Amino acid sequence: MTLQKVQFVDNSTDIIRKCPGTKHHICCGYQTIDLIEGCVLSCSYCILKAYLKNDVIKVSCDPDATTRELDRLIDGSAKHILRFGTGELSDSLALDRQLRLNRFLVDYFGHKKKAILELKSKWADFRHLIPYLNPFTVISFSVSPQRFIDSEEQRTSPIHKRLKAARLAQDNGCFVGLHFDPVVIYDGFERDYRYLIEDIGRILDPGKIIWISLGLLRFPPALYGQLIEKKRRYLLSGEFIRGEDGKYRYIKPERIRIYKLLYKLLKKIDSRLFIYLCMERADIWKEVFGITMESSEGLVRLFDERIKNLYGGML
Amino acid sequence: MTDIRLSTIDLKDTRFKFSYGRDNERLRSSIGIAGIVEPVILLDRKPYIPVAGFRRLDCARSLKMRSVPALIVDVPEKEAFLRAVHTNIERGYNIIEKADILSRMDGLGFQRPDILEQMEYLGLHPGEKMLKICIAVAGLEPVLKGFIFNNIASLRNIELFLLFDAGERKRIVRSLAGVHLTESMVREIFEMLHILRIRKGKLTGADIPALPDAGALRAHLKKRTHPVLTSLARKLKAIRDKMAVPPGVDIRVDPFFEKEYIDLVLRIKDDDGIRTALATISGLAEAGHLRSILDLTKGTIR
Repeated sequence: MTLQKVQFVDNSTDIIRKCPGTKHHICCGYQTIDLIEGCVLSCSYCILKAYLKNDVIKVSCDPDATTRELDRLIDGSAKHILRFGTGELSDSLALDRQLRLNRFLVDYFGHKKKAILELKSKWADFRHLIPYLNPFTVISFSVSPQRFIDSEEQRTSPIHKRLKAARLAQDNGCFVGLHFDPVVIYDGFERDYRYLIEDIGRILDPGKIIWISLGLLRFPPALYGQLIEKKRRYLLSGEFIRGEDGKYRYIKPERIRIYKLLYKLLKKIDSRLFIYLCMERADIWKEVFGITMESSEGLVRLFDERIKNLYGGML
Repeated sequence: MTDIRLSTIDLKDTRFKFSYGRDNERLRSSIGIAGIVEPVILLDRKPYIPVAGFRRLDCARSLKMRSVPALIVDVPEKEAFLRAVHTNIERGYNIIEKADILSRMDGLGFQRPDILEQMEYLGLHPGEKMLKICIAVAGLEPVLKGFIFNNIASLRNIELFLLFDAGERKRIVRSLAGVHLTESMVREIFEMLHILRIRKGKLTGADIPALPDAGALRAHLKKRTHPVLTSLARKLKAIRDKMAVPPGVDIRVDPFFEKEYIDLVLRIKDDDGIRTALATISGLAEAGHLRSILDLTKGTIR
């Protein structure tokens, strides 16, 4: 499904990085394994459009160097259970059927049994990985109403396929993650999200949803001009302000209202669901969840607790 | 160099003329005193075609000079064009002149690499997108060119201006005629107009009324694009009006109501000042004014 040029580059250093986070906002402490830079899915709001200079997809895969670095990080972390993902500068699954980059990581985490690998995607096909899956790989999908996908994520899998794929992952012994990110305000979005969450409750086993993130649309100023130029009506319907990190975000009362709405709908599925906010301010955490979350460290501890509860003595 | 009679020069031939928005008055005075020091460049045709020195030629004609010092060149038209461009490259070109140069190069059939090379000399990012913007600017009506020349310096703002359709551009120019604008104000107004346009499908006269100043237009647009922010700002103003904060005490609130805290700034010179300021703050807190402001920054009020 790729139309862009794929270029293999030699880069065995700087593959694993801490999620850059953003100033004055709570970050989940996730670490990224950047084997691919660039994405074929080409979502209209993708921040890679603002950061990457061209359309070339750069692939750098050195399994030995990557696992050596993972060993160093995982063995050196006595304090927390580390979580890694490949979906920061690309989609984790969109090219994996052709490039087979995840296989060694899935194997590595399965043998290591001390940390979690999260494959985050909008592409609903991971059948080539099924024989190798193990509980230490979390298959995650970004979820949005189909109306929004049709308009802004045109090259991705439809939502029903993503949810079916998530169910397939659960049936194959994996936990799944769901990322409501970006949540976008447009006419009728509340109803669309209500239906989406009902579908999630019907299709998935909530006991095997490891985490759910909520993140409202935000983007750097460089992307704002592009959205205006391309007249992205869905993306520009809400009321934006510049956050303390310089990014455009919806105004705070709107963010609080929508987080509360989604949180309530999700908790109706199962009150035990682990729900967190992606890159939000401490005061929003307080207002939405009633939790005092003064730093990212607090959220990382919640993740540790969640993983220990689900994995018991396995990890 | 030779002296050429003005009557043998085709002064109406402006194929190599790019100057826009430049005043000849000082040059005319200078030529009146010292004559033409720098020769004009003429293409060796019958009559001669001016290549460079149009303003000097205009001044010579208005000063009723009979001849001008000139350098005669006999080169193909494209080469003459490049000479004309580079004669004034040190002086620098404004955006309308640059756009004109590139548009004419395109019209004269210059190859893309040659045009892109000249863009670098002109201080523009060489690329198709920038070239497209310049050609579009060159093709605008004089009144719109005048608006850009007088009000917009940044290419980003020009780009935003060009994204409006012809009717909308005219409405914007009418609305902003005579209004003092800063570059950041232009950008903010254009962005808000685009947001309205994207949401509504098109802009109408009600979206771009003629208002006395840019601040009023900005407020008018903000109310439509940012209703919650406008409402919060109005509530904050009402609280401030009630508070009557004395000089020396400043309550700073994040303009986007994003930060949950407020900053209290006190200007103090002595012990008495400290006591007065603390009493003031205490009074404001007791009256519930500070609480009311903090309620706005919590994000639970719209």
